[in-house]
Amino acid sequence: MGLHQSEELESCLAVAVEVAKKAGQIIKDGFHRAKAVEHKGLVDLVTETDKACEDVIFTQLKESFPSHELIGEETASVNGIPVLTDSPTWVIDPLDGTTNFVHSFPFVCVSIGLVIDKVPVVGVVYNPLLDELFTGIKGQGAFLNGQRIHASNQEHIGNGLLATEIGVKRDKQTVDRTSNLINYFLYKVRSLRLSGSCAMNLCGVACGRLDMFYELGFGGPWDVAAGTLILREAGGLVFDPSGGEFDMMSHLVAASNGHLKGALVEGLVAHM
Amino acid sequence: MGLQHYADLESCLSVAVDAAKRAGQIIANNFNTAKVIEHKGMVDLVTETDKACEDLIFKLLKSTFPSHELIGEETSAENGTPLLTDAPTWIVDPLDGTTNFVHRFPFVCVSIGLVVNKVPVVGVVYNPILKELFTAVQGKGAYLNGKLIHASSQDKIGNSILATEVGTTRDKQTVDRTTNCINNLLFQVRSVRLSGSCAMNLCGVACGRLDMFYETGFGGPWDVAGGALIVQEAGGLIFDPSGKDFDLMSRRIGASNGHLKQPLVTALTSYV
Repeated sequence: MGLHQSEELESCLAVAVEVAKKAGQIIKDGFHRAKAVEHKGLVDLVTETDKACEDVIFTQLKESFPSHELIGEETASVNGIPVLTDSPTWVIDPLDGTTNFVHSFPFVCVSIGLVIDKVPVVGVVYNPLLDELFTGIKGQGAFLNGQRIHASNQEHIGNGLLATEIGVKRDKQTVDRTSNLINYFLYKVRSLRLSGSCAMNLCGVACGRLDMFYELGFGGPWDVAAGTLILREAGGLVFDPSGGEFDMMSHLVAASNGHLKGALVEGLVAHM
Repeated sequence: MGLQHYADLESCLSVAVDAAKRAGQIIANNFNTAKVIEHKGMVDLVTETDKACEDLIFKLLKSTFPSHELIGEETSAENGTPLLTDAPTWIVDPLDGTTNFVHRFPFVCVSIGLVVNKVPVVGVVYNPILKELFTAVQGKGAYLNGKLIHASSQDKIGNSILATEVGTTRDKQTVDRTTNCINNLLFQVRSVRLSGSCAMNLCGVACGRLDMFYETGFGGPWDVAGGALIVQEAGGLIFDPSGKDFDLMSRRIGASNGHLKQPLVTALTSYV
């Protein structure tokens, strides 16, 4: 599509950062107030803030890049997820960690990825409560608040911190699989973290505060488009939990630093 | 013992806050550096920072309150946990969340509790990375950065966030019981958070970002002496996970807002 020039991606990043910060301010303003909560599912929540953030982000991106496609969580929940084409497409989670937002637990973020030929090329994840801005452009490294970040060097799974989530499905098969996996990994890893935001987990692996992450059955590509780019640019690995190629539309993701993919996949394959 | 006057407790609080902030500065200074780790157990870690913080806090408390007793995690690791008497006793975790500290995961804190007649009367928990200072004096309410905080008003377990931890004991019996317990709770709660710091979890219940918390087999009274008072002063409840009275020395704790104690205790029956 021609949009591979470095300065064009830089200007895409700049606009994404600006609008992530605007949405971040909306999140911050609403964070300590009472929220009107709607249920998309039994434990799958949405608020006015999610929708307001998506509006702000869509409006700005449409204005700056009128030829680009847009996929956003809240629009998709009303209209269905559009098919991902090769066109430059912004893939947006206006508020990742809505449950955390409702409870005022500070792991919430805006996640904005630009995808071209179905490959993420720009990623922005912004947590306005912790004031952490993660950014990356394909081939140019990953950054946290302007400082270069790298996935950890940990080679031994026994010294690793594993992140995962329990998701929003509560049928017996899903819940039992979730706990069986946790049980398996508790014998293998140093400890387990469940923090409630997929994008923050991916960025956590990217900056080395986590060593491994997997989530099976998250909401959609908006949860991972930006974070997977940032993680890869930090030297980490992103893959399907089976060990195969990562598919952004699959609702499945696994991630690690440069060393622990094999150990993570071994456990996932045996217990998924 | 005479240390019941409000003015005395206020000055105890003020010294404890000062000690917590100074120790917090050491933690913040060392947070992004490489750490030399010692293992107290397979996944139970300690660093020079833990020890330096305990030294600093002990010196300050000893010099200001020479007649008070001191119980600290690192001193106890060397010498055994002292018996708790009725004398005014400072119970100190110089760095709660050592694993998080090692990995640069930002849920770390200093926890300082003053206990008189075996009852917590002053509590300070300070996270220097998130810059959150939780404080309480018996009868005077609980505060986060100077603002009054309250446990949540959630009365439905299905809308609640539960926190727990996987601890540092990884024998089959413990791990299986942990995951069976989590499995059972997953069918009942909105979501589960594992963040790696007992004191931060207690403060999370106190400020309403979590609704319930339980942990068994944590290190010692230093993990809970500060946070338990903060929960109670915020209108939350502290109890043994069986529903019986809380015992500071038991290495077991349950915490909830004003409504969810019974549902939590019921859900934990036969797992704790």
